[in-house]
Amino acid sequence: MTLWSIITNMRISDILDESVVRVNLKGKSKDEVINEMIAIVNHSNKILDIEKVREAIFEREKIMSTGVGNGFAIPHGKTDAVLDIVAAFAITEEPIDYESLDEQPVRLIFLLVGKDSMVGPHIKLLSRISRLMNKEEFRSKLLGATTPKQVIEIFKTEEAQYFEN
Amino acid sequence: MLSFEYLILIASSLILLSIAIAKFSDNLGVPTLLLFLGIGMLAGSDGPGGIYFDDAKLSQSIGIVALIFILFAGGLDTKWNEVRPVLKEASILATLGVLITALSIALLMVYVFNLSFLNGLLLGAIVSSTDAAAVFSVLRSKNVSLKGNLKPLLELESGSNDPMAVFLTIGTLQMLTIADTAWSDIVLLFFYQMGIGALFGFGFAKGMVLTLNRLKFSYEGIYPVLAIAFAGFTYAATALVNGSGFLAVYIAGLVVGNSDIIQKKSLLRFFDGLSWLGQIAMFLTLGLLAFPHQLVTIIGSGMVISLFLILIARPLGVFLSLAVSRFSTKEKIFISWVGLRGAVPIVLATFPLLAKTPDAQILFNIVFFIVLTSALLQGWSLPVVAKILGLDQPMKKKRNHPIEFAAMENSDTQLVDIVIPFNSDVIGRPIVELGLPGDSLVVLISRSDNFVVPSGGTSIEDGDTLLVLVNKHNLPAVREIFSRQKVKE
Repeated sequence: MTLWSIITNMRISDILDESVVRVNLKGKSKDEVINEMIAIVNHSNKILDIEKVREAIFEREKIMSTGVGNGFAIPHGKTDAVLDIVAAFAITEEPIDYESLDEQPVRLIFLLVGKDSMVGPHIKLLSRISRLMNKEEFRSKLLGATTPKQVIEIFKTEEAQYFEN
Repeated sequence: MLSFEYLILIASSLILLSIAIAKFSDNLGVPTLLLFLGIGMLAGSDGPGGIYFDDAKLSQSIGIVALIFILFAGGLDTKWNEVRPVLKEASILATLGVLITALSIALLMVYVFNLSFLNGLLLGAIVSSTDAAAVFSVLRSKNVSLKGNLKPLLELESGSNDPMAVFLTIGTLQMLTIADTAWSDIVLLFFYQMGIGALFGFGFAKGMVLTLNRLKFSYEGIYPVLAIAFAGFTYAATALVNGSGFLAVYIAGLVVGNSDIIQKKSLLRFFDGLSWLGQIAMFLTLGLLAFPHQLVTIIGSGMVISLFLILIARPLGVFLSLAVSRFSTKEKIFISWVGLRGAVPIVLATFPLLAKTPDAQILFNIVFFIVLTSALLQGWSLPVVAKILGLDQPMKKKRNHPIEFAAMENSDTQLVDIVIPFNSDVIGRPIVELGLPGDSLVVLISRSDNFVVPSGGTSIEDGDTLLVLVNKHNLPAVREIFSRQKVKE
């Protein structure tokens, strides 16, 4: 296995652990929840400059909303202020008006910050996350989770099936 | 005193006239600079224009400012990997070659015209440097290019020999006007001027490259402004500590032009234009400054000096400087013939005018005459001489690259990742049918853990993530297309 394929076949469960998962995000608005999620990853030692991360994410949001529909949003951005891919996942306490493209409120949010130079792995992960989240059954399982541990388990199980297919 | 509007009207009309004449005389093969000089003379007090102009100080200032930009632009446009192989030869030509030419003229003046050595050397120094722009405008208009290393050698030589001529002129003037100046002081001054010039030019250029690349301006227009200010600053800062400002500017251009900088292409274009304006303004002014009727009295002696320069002094400098080099005799003959004198000698001739040395006006007239004859005789015959010596070849067409990749980072264009929304109207439709604006492009699709390089017929699928090239003008349209939701039945 080449290094490239290891990198590009990075699994979602490899970049998520309980420390970056929340099941009770308090924010009431789009900006609040995005900032809350940035605060979650702030403690990661992969981040060189949290303000640059914030800028990259909000800049990307300006181009086109990442509320891709069905109650899910995937704020993301690329910057040279991270050493590696950084991710976080959260379920909000209340449905949020995320300016989604289908105008539906959002409860499931996946944050993905990629390195400027790693365009390939970044869009590959985005694509994989969006495929998983496009399944109605998977989304309701996640919405039923009450602890970060359960969330991680749900991701692992789903991804294992995904790789078998 | 004319009103300001009149002055602007006259200046701009002269420039327009110059450009029009240059345009229609493309096939004459006369160096364009000569035309500008001619228009200046015709517009001047002795011509039908009748504009009386004798402000040597103003002419000199215009000349120096123009030279700063011409030299900086010349450096910017010089490709290091082309001139690298001829660096040694060009440096010797630009220093020793210039010195030999100047000394030869000095000896002629002493033995034939009974001038003192220093006065002779002053004339020699003033006319000792060659003009690149003149040479290449002639070759370009005739669609002729040169074989081997001739072009980079001549370019580098003529770009870098002006500082030497300036130094010799100033040094000689100093010895003429300040009685107890020792030769050893002059030699020391030479190394000091050139050393500081090279050092400052290199240092400032590195600083500019850093500045350009670090400060990312959102306005493209600010880059040329920054570069102009930088070129002026480099000249002035170097000259103020008695270094060679011209050398510093040329080296700075060379270093900046050969570094990876954003906005390089537009900077090159801008300075190309500025360099043209500089040349036109300089030659027009110098043409205006001359009084052609005074030239009549010096035609005889002027012709002797001019022929001596062309046939003896310049070849002597070239052959001695290139005695140990790979260049063949034919090539050396050609290099000797490409000794066109341009604006620098005329600008330098204003120095004695301002220093009020005796016979400064005669000196100015002789220099003016030499430049005219050299540009006419050598300029006109260059393509023929190249052909006779077998050193010419057809010109290659320059390739134009449609996209400036280096500028991407700072231009309006960017690559955006777009996660296809779950109920997007684009799902299932081929890219060609999406109606994306012409200058946007789907570069890559990530689909089922693979990358797809799309063509127009590729359909968008559920769960795709796209890499799309957009610019800020077509962004709203692109956003609209991908955001549109499928109408639910």
